[in-house]
Amino acid sequence: MKLALKLVAAVLVALVLGAGSALLLVRSGGLGGLVSSGPWETDLTIGSAEADPYTRARVAVAGLLALNRSETIYFTAARDGEGDRLRTACTYRVEGSNPPARWWSITLYGEDHYLVANPQNRFSYGGETVLRNEDGGFVITVGPEEADGNWIPTGQGHTGDTFTLTLRLYNPDESAARNPSGIVLPQIAKEACAS
Amino acid sequence: MKTWPLWIAGSIALAAVFHILTVFVLPYGIMNRAMAGISAQAGGDNKAVYPERATADSRGIVRPSPDLLYTACVYDVSDRPVRLTSPVPDTYWSLSAFAANTDNFFVVNDRSVRGNRIEIILASNENADTPRGVPLVVAPSTRGIVLFRSLVPNEDAAIEVDQLRRQANCEPL
Repeated sequence: MKLALKLVAAVLVALVLGAGSALLLVRSGGLGGLVSSGPWETDLTIGSAEADPYTRARVAVAGLLALNRSETIYFTAARDGEGDRLRTACTYRVEGSNPPARWWSITLYGEDHYLVANPQNRFSYGGETVLRNEDGGFVITVGPEEADGNWIPTGQGHTGDTFTLTLRLYNPDESAARNPSGIVLPQIAKEACAS
Repeated sequence: MKTWPLWIAGSIALAAVFHILTVFVLPYGIMNRAMAGISAQAGGDNKAVYPERATADSRGIVRPSPDLLYTACVYDVSDRPVRLTSPVPDTYWSLSAFAANTDNFFVVNDRSVRGNRIEIILASNENADTPRGVPLVVAPSTRGIVLFRSLVPNEDAAIEVDQLRRQANCEPL
Protein backbone atom coordinates (compact mmCIF):
# COMPACT_ATOMS: atom_id res chain seq x y z
CA MET A 1 0.00 0.00 0.00
CA LYS A 2 2.80 2.37 0.98
CA LEU A 3 4.71 1.49 -2.17
CA ALA A 4 1.65 2.09 -4.35
CA LEU A 5 1.16 5.54 -2.81
CA LYS A 6 4.81 6.35 -3.41
CA LEU A 7 4.50 5.28 -7.03
CA VAL A 8 1.39 7.39 -7.63
CA ALA A 9 3.07 10.39 -6.02
CA ALA A 10 6.19 9.94 -8.14
CA VAL A 11 4.15 9.70 -11.35
CA LEU A 12 2.11 12.77 -10.45
CA VAL A 13 5.22 14.80 -9.63
CA ALA A 14 6.82 13.67 -12.89
CA LEU A 15 3.67 14.55 -14.85
CA VAL A 16 3.43 18.04 -13.38
CA LEU A 17 7.16 18.67 -13.84
CA GLY A 18 7.41 17.18 -17.32
CA ALA A 19 4.20 18.45 -18.92
CA GLY A 20 4.35 21.74 -17.01
CA SER A 21 7.90 22.54 -18.09
CA ALA A 22 7.03 21.67 -21.71
CA LEU A 23 3.96 23.92 -21.73
CA LEU A 24 5.87 26.74 -20.03
CA LEU A 25 8.70 26.50 -22.54
CA VAL A 26 6.39 26.34 -25.56
CA ARG A 27 4.05 29.12 -24.41
CA SER A 28 6.86 31.51 -23.51
CA GLY A 29 8.61 30.92 -26.81
CA GLY A 30 6.14 32.78 -29.02
CA LEU A 31 6.96 33.01 -32.70
CA GLY A 32 10.41 34.52 -32.26
CA GLY A 33 13.56 32.71 -33.23
CA LEU A 34 17.20 32.91 -34.05
CA VAL A 35 16.80 35.32 -36.96
CA SER A 36 16.30 38.93 -36.00
CA SER A 37 16.33 42.40 -37.47
CA GLY A 38 16.18 45.05 -34.76
CA PRO A 39 13.35 44.08 -32.38
CA TRP A 40 11.75 41.81 -34.99
CA GLU A 41 12.38 38.08 -34.73
CA THR A 42 11.47 35.09 -36.85
CA ASP A 43 12.13 31.39 -37.13
CA LEU A 44 12.69 30.28 -40.70
CA THR A 45 11.47 26.76 -40.02
CA ILE A 46 7.94 27.95 -39.19
CA GLY A 47 5.42 25.83 -41.08
CA SER A 48 8.16 23.66 -42.53
CA ALA A 49 8.76 19.93 -42.19
CA GLU A 50 12.28 20.91 -41.08
CA ALA A 51 10.85 22.39 -37.89
CA ASP A 52 12.07 20.69 -34.72
CA PRO A 53 9.42 19.44 -32.26
CA TYR A 54 9.73 22.53 -30.05
CA THR A 55 9.27 24.92 -33.00
CA ARG A 56 6.30 22.88 -34.21
CA ALA A 57 4.73 23.08 -30.75
CA ARG A 58 5.43 26.84 -30.47
CA VAL A 59 3.83 27.45 -33.87
CA ALA A 60 0.81 25.35 -32.91
CA VAL A 61 0.31 27.50 -29.81
CA ALA A 62 1.14 30.93 -31.21
CA GLY A 63 0.76 30.72 -34.99
CA LEU A 64 -1.24 27.72 -36.12
CA LEU A 65 -1.57 27.40 -39.92
CA ALA A 66 1.42 29.66 -40.57
CA LEU A 67 2.83 29.37 -44.08
CA ASN A 68 6.37 28.28 -44.77
CA ARG A 69 9.03 30.86 -45.59
CA SER A 70 8.84 30.34 -49.34
CA GLU A 71 5.42 31.96 -49.16
CA THR A 72 5.51 34.21 -46.11
CA ILE A 73 8.00 35.38 -43.52
CA TYR A 74 6.45 36.23 -40.15
CA PHE A 75 8.45 38.65 -38.01
CA THR A 76 7.22 39.22 -34.47
CA ALA A 77 8.22 42.00 -32.07
CA ALA A 78 7.57 41.65 -28.37
CA ARG A 79 9.99 44.46 -27.46
CA ASP A 80 10.78 47.97 -28.63
CA GLY A 81 14.10 49.18 -30.05
CA GLU A 82 15.51 49.59 -26.52
CA GLY A 83 14.67 46.03 -25.60
CA ASP A 84 11.74 46.85 -23.30
CA ARG A 85 8.53 44.80 -23.47
CA LEU A 86 5.76 46.35 -25.57
CA ARG A 87 3.10 47.53 -23.11
CA THR A 88 -0.51 48.45 -23.77
CA ALA A 89 -0.24 51.56 -21.58
CA CYS A 90 2.62 52.99 -23.67
CA THR A 91 2.64 54.78 -27.02
CA TYR A 92 5.09 53.70 -29.72
CA ARG A 93 6.19 55.16 -33.03
CA VAL A 94 6.62 52.47 -35.68
CA GLU A 95 8.50 54.03 -38.56
CA GLY A 96 9.76 52.49 -41.75
CA SER A 97 9.42 52.02 -45.46
CA ASN A 98 8.16 49.22 -47.69
CA PRO A 99 9.85 45.94 -46.75
CA PRO A 100 11.06 43.88 -49.73
CA ALA A 101 7.93 41.83 -50.36
CA ARG A 102 4.96 41.79 -52.67
CA TRP A 103 2.64 42.68 -49.80
CA TRP A 104 3.12 43.34 -46.10
CA SER A 105 1.09 44.09 -43.01
CA ILE A 106 1.67 44.96 -39.36
CA THR A 107 -0.88 43.54 -36.90
CA LEU A 108 -1.23 43.91 -33.14
CA TYR A 109 -2.08 40.92 -30.94
CA GLY A 110 -2.84 40.68 -27.22
CA GLU A 111 -1.18 38.30 -24.78
CA ASP A 112 -3.69 35.63 -25.78
CA HIS A 113 -2.51 35.81 -29.44
CA TYR A 114 -5.85 37.18 -30.64
CA LEU A 115 -6.81 40.60 -32.02
CA VAL A 116 -7.41 43.26 -29.38
CA ALA A 117 -10.91 44.75 -29.13
CA ASN A 118 -11.19 48.48 -29.79
CA PRO A 119 -14.06 50.77 -30.83
CA GLN A 120 -12.43 51.50 -34.18
CA ASN A 121 -12.05 47.80 -35.05
CA ARG A 122 -8.54 48.67 -36.20
CA PHE A 123 -6.02 45.91 -35.83
CA SER A 124 -3.48 46.39 -38.60
CA TYR A 125 -2.11 48.37 -41.51
CA GLY A 126 -0.97 46.93 -44.80
CA GLY A 127 1.04 48.12 -47.76
CA GLU A 128 -2.10 49.36 -49.47
CA THR A 129 -3.91 50.87 -46.49
CA VAL A 130 -1.18 52.70 -44.61
CA LEU A 131 -0.99 56.49 -45.02
CA ARG A 132 2.40 57.43 -46.36
CA ASN A 133 4.82 60.31 -45.98
CA GLU A 134 5.93 62.25 -49.04
CA ASP A 135 9.03 60.06 -49.30
CA GLY A 136 6.90 56.88 -49.40
CA GLY A 137 7.75 55.87 -45.86
CA PHE A 138 5.21 55.54 -43.09
CA VAL A 139 4.70 56.17 -39.39
CA ILE A 140 2.22 54.13 -37.37
CA THR A 141 1.34 55.19 -33.86
CA VAL A 142 0.63 52.24 -31.59
CA GLY A 143 -0.88 53.16 -28.26
CA PRO A 144 -3.95 53.56 -26.08
CA GLU A 145 -4.86 57.13 -27.12
CA GLU A 146 -6.19 58.08 -30.55
CA ALA A 147 -3.55 59.67 -32.77
CA ASP A 148 -3.60 61.47 -36.11
CA GLY A 149 -2.66 59.44 -39.17
CA ASN A 150 -2.03 55.73 -38.85
CA TRP A 151 -3.03 54.48 -35.41
CA ILE A 152 -3.36 50.96 -34.01
CA PRO A 153 -5.08 50.96 -30.60
CA THR A 154 -3.53 48.83 -27.87
CA GLY A 155 -6.90 48.30 -26.27
CA GLN A 156 -5.85 49.64 -22.86
CA GLY A 157 -5.03 46.30 -21.32
CA HIS A 158 -8.22 44.42 -22.15
CA THR A 159 -6.23 41.32 -23.03
CA GLY A 160 -3.24 41.78 -20.74
CA ASP A 161 -0.61 44.43 -20.10
CA THR A 162 1.65 43.49 -22.96
CA PHE A 163 1.20 42.93 -26.68
CA THR A 164 3.12 41.85 -29.74
CA LEU A 165 3.30 43.07 -33.32
CA THR A 166 3.52 40.73 -36.28
CA LEU A 167 4.96 41.87 -39.58
CA ARG A 168 3.91 39.59 -42.44
CA LEU A 169 5.93 39.61 -45.63
CA TYR A 170 3.92 37.84 -48.32
CA ASN A 171 5.97 36.64 -51.29
CA PRO A 172 9.21 38.14 -49.96
CA ASP A 173 11.81 39.19 -52.52
CA GLU A 174 14.39 36.52 -53.21
CA SER A 175 17.14 38.42 -51.43
CA ALA A 176 14.92 38.84 -48.36
CA ALA A 177 14.02 35.15 -48.26
CA ARG A 178 17.71 34.27 -48.57
CA ASN A 179 18.89 36.65 -45.86
CA PRO A 180 15.98 37.74 -43.60
CA SER A 181 18.27 39.20 -40.96
CA GLY A 182 19.58 41.62 -43.58
CA ILE A 183 16.17 43.18 -44.18
CA VAL A 184 15.75 46.68 -42.81
CA LEU A 185 12.45 46.57 -40.90
CA PRO A 186 10.44 49.35 -39.22
CA GLN A 187 11.87 50.81 -36.02
CA ILE A 188 9.80 50.69 -32.85
CA ALA A 189 10.42 53.63 -30.52
CA LYS A 190 8.66 54.20 -27.21
CA GLU A 191 7.31 57.75 -26.93
CA ALA A 192 5.43 57.82 -23.64
CA CYS A 193 3.73 55.67 -21.03
CA ALA A 194 0.62 56.41 -19.00
CA SER A 195 1.51 56.69 -15.33
CA MET B 1 19.55 0.95 2.19
CA LYS B 2 18.28 4.41 1.36
CA THR B 3 15.90 4.33 -1.60
CA TRP B 4 15.04 8.01 -1.95
CA PRO B 5 17.84 8.74 -4.47
CA LEU B 6 16.33 6.06 -6.70
CA TRP B 7 12.87 7.59 -6.35
CA ILE B 8 14.17 11.05 -7.27
CA ALA B 9 16.13 9.72 -10.24
CA GLY B 10 13.12 7.75 -11.43
CA SER B 11 10.81 10.75 -11.11
CA ILE B 12 13.21 12.95 -13.06
CA ALA B 13 13.51 10.34 -15.81
CA LEU B 14 9.73 10.01 -15.96
CA ALA B 15 9.36 13.81 -16.01
CA ALA B 16 11.68 13.91 -19.04
CA VAL B 17 9.47 11.35 -20.79
CA PHE B 18 6.32 13.39 -20.04
CA HIS B 19 8.10 16.55 -21.22
CA ILE B 20 9.01 15.02 -24.58
CA LEU B 21 5.58 13.44 -24.99
CA THR B 22 3.86 16.79 -24.34
CA VAL B 23 6.02 18.58 -26.92
CA PHE B 24 5.29 15.92 -29.54
CA VAL B 25 1.57 15.55 -28.82
CA LEU B 26 0.69 19.25 -28.40
CA PRO B 27 0.64 20.15 -32.15
CA TYR B 28 -1.65 17.19 -32.89
CA GLY B 29 -4.00 18.18 -30.06
CA ILE B 30 -4.21 21.81 -31.18
CA MET B 31 -4.73 20.78 -34.82
CA ASN B 32 -7.45 18.35 -33.76
CA ARG B 33 -9.24 21.12 -31.90
CA ALA B 34 -8.96 23.44 -34.92
CA MET B 35 -10.21 20.68 -37.24
CA ALA B 36 -13.15 19.98 -34.96
CA GLY B 37 -14.10 23.68 -35.02
CA ILE B 38 -13.86 24.01 -38.82
CA SER B 39 -15.67 20.74 -39.42
CA ALA B 40 -18.48 21.70 -37.05
CA GLN B 41 -18.96 25.05 -38.81
CA ALA B 42 -18.86 23.49 -42.27
CA GLY B 43 -21.14 20.57 -41.41
CA GLY B 44 -18.50 17.88 -41.80
CA ASP B 45 -15.13 17.09 -43.36
CA ASN B 46 -14.39 17.93 -47.01
CA LYS B 47 -16.76 20.90 -46.88
CA ALA B 48 -15.68 24.53 -46.96
CA VAL B 49 -16.51 27.19 -44.40
CA TYR B 50 -16.44 30.90 -45.23
CA PRO B 51 -15.91 32.91 -42.03
CA GLU B 52 -16.16 36.69 -42.00
CA ARG B 53 -12.99 38.76 -41.66
CA ALA B 54 -11.24 38.32 -38.33
CA THR B 55 -12.08 40.68 -35.49
CA ALA B 56 -11.36 40.66 -31.77
CA ASP B 57 -14.26 38.21 -31.41
CA SER B 58 -12.57 35.65 -33.67
CA ARG B 59 -11.31 32.94 -31.35
CA GLY B 60 -10.98 29.92 -33.64
CA ILE B 61 -7.36 30.16 -34.80
CA VAL B 62 -4.62 32.20 -33.09
CA ARG B 63 -3.08 35.29 -34.72
CA PRO B 64 -5.52 35.69 -37.60
CA SER B 65 -4.80 38.38 -40.17
CA PRO B 66 -7.63 40.94 -40.39
CA ASP B 67 -6.46 41.81 -43.91
CA LEU B 68 -7.30 38.41 -45.33
CA LEU B 69 -10.47 36.47 -45.95
CA TYR B 70 -9.92 32.86 -44.94
CA THR B 71 -11.80 29.95 -46.46
CA ALA B 72 -11.11 26.63 -44.78
CA CYS B 73 -12.00 22.97 -44.87
CA VAL B 74 -10.90 19.84 -43.09
CA TYR B 75 -9.70 17.32 -45.64
CA ASP B 76 -10.12 13.61 -45.09
CA VAL B 77 -8.51 11.45 -47.76
CA SER B 78 -8.83 8.15 -45.87
CA ASP B 79 -11.63 6.85 -48.15
CA ARG B 80 -11.10 8.75 -51.37
CA PRO B 81 -9.28 11.79 -52.75
CA VAL B 82 -10.57 15.32 -52.27
CA ARG B 83 -10.98 17.87 -55.04
CA LEU B 84 -10.00 21.48 -54.22
CA THR B 85 -11.28 24.19 -56.55
CA SER B 86 -11.22 27.97 -56.49
CA PRO B 87 -11.24 30.98 -58.73
CA VAL B 88 -7.91 32.83 -58.60
CA PRO B 89 -8.08 36.63 -58.23
CA ASP B 90 -5.58 39.23 -59.42
CA THR B 91 -4.61 40.20 -55.89
CA TYR B 92 -2.70 38.03 -53.42
CA TRP B 93 -4.33 34.64 -52.95
CA SER B 94 -3.01 31.30 -51.81
CA LEU B 95 -4.13 27.74 -51.27
CA SER B 96 -2.25 25.92 -48.54
CA ALA B 97 -2.58 22.53 -46.93
CA PHE B 98 -1.52 21.53 -43.43
CA ALA B 99 -0.90 18.04 -42.09
CA ALA B 100 -2.17 16.75 -38.75
CA ASN B 101 1.15 17.71 -37.14
CA THR B 102 0.76 21.37 -38.38
CA ASP B 103 3.34 21.11 -41.23
CA ASN B 104 2.50 23.26 -44.24
CA PHE B 105 3.10 20.58 -46.88
CA PHE B 106 1.67 22.41 -49.88
CA VAL B 107 1.16 26.00 -50.94
CA VAL B 108 0.41 27.68 -54.24
CA ASN B 109 -0.35 31.35 -54.84
CA ASP B 110 -2.06 33.39 -57.55
CA ARG B 111 1.21 34.14 -59.33
CA SER B 112 2.08 30.48 -59.75
CA VAL B 113 -1.32 29.47 -61.15
CA ARG B 114 -1.91 29.63 -64.89
CA GLY B 115 -5.28 31.17 -65.67
CA ASN B 116 -7.91 32.36 -63.24
CA ARG B 117 -9.01 29.05 -61.77
CA ILE B 118 -7.33 26.23 -59.90
CA GLU B 119 -8.23 22.58 -59.46
CA ILE B 120 -6.13 20.22 -57.37
CA ILE B 121 -6.64 16.70 -56.11
CA LEU B 122 -5.51 15.82 -52.61
CA ALA B 123 -4.94 12.09 -52.06
CA SER B 124 -3.36 9.70 -49.60
CA ASN B 125 -0.99 8.24 -52.20
CA GLU B 126 0.30 8.95 -55.68
CA ASN B 127 -1.46 5.94 -57.18
CA ALA B 128 -4.92 7.26 -56.37
CA ASP B 129 -7.46 7.09 -59.16
CA THR B 130 -7.79 10.74 -60.19
CA PRO B 131 -8.91 12.66 -63.28
CA ARG B 132 -6.18 12.97 -65.91
CA GLY B 133 -4.49 16.31 -66.21
CA VAL B 134 -5.46 17.51 -62.73
CA PRO B 135 -2.44 18.05 -60.45
CA LEU B 136 -2.23 15.55 -57.60
CA VAL B 137 -0.88 16.42 -54.16
CA VAL B 138 -0.13 13.60 -51.73
CA ALA B 139 -1.14 14.44 -48.17
CA PRO B 140 1.24 13.15 -45.47
CA SER B 141 -1.67 12.59 -43.08
CA THR B 142 -5.17 11.34 -43.85
CA ARG B 143 -6.74 14.39 -42.19
CA GLY B 144 -5.64 18.00 -42.07
CA ILE B 145 -6.67 21.52 -42.97
CA VAL B 146 -6.87 23.30 -46.32
CA LEU B 147 -6.79 27.08 -46.13
CA PHE B 148 -7.50 29.56 -48.90
CA ARG B 149 -6.20 33.07 -48.15
CA SER B 150 -7.64 36.00 -50.10
CA LEU B 151 -6.15 39.44 -49.56
CA VAL B 152 -8.59 42.31 -49.11
CA PRO B 153 -6.31 45.12 -50.30
CA ASN B 154 -8.78 47.88 -49.35
CA GLU B 155 -12.40 48.28 -48.27
CA ASP B 156 -13.57 49.04 -51.82
CA ALA B 157 -12.47 45.58 -52.92
CA ALA B 158 -13.95 43.71 -49.94
CA ILE B 159 -17.29 42.70 -51.50
CA GLU B 160 -15.75 41.52 -54.75
CA VAL B 161 -13.06 39.47 -52.98
CA ASP B 162 -15.69 37.96 -50.68
CA GLN B 163 -17.93 36.92 -53.57
CA LEU B 164 -15.04 35.32 -55.39
CA ARG B 165 -13.66 33.36 -52.43
CA ARG B 166 -17.11 31.92 -51.66
CA GLN B 167 -16.71 29.92 -54.88
CA ALA B 168 -13.76 28.03 -53.38
CA ASN B 169 -14.64 24.48 -52.45
CA CYS B 170 -13.47 21.13 -51.09
CA GLU B 171 -15.39 17.97 -52.05
CA PRO B 172 -14.77 14.23 -52.08
CA LEU B 173 -13.90 12.91 -55.53
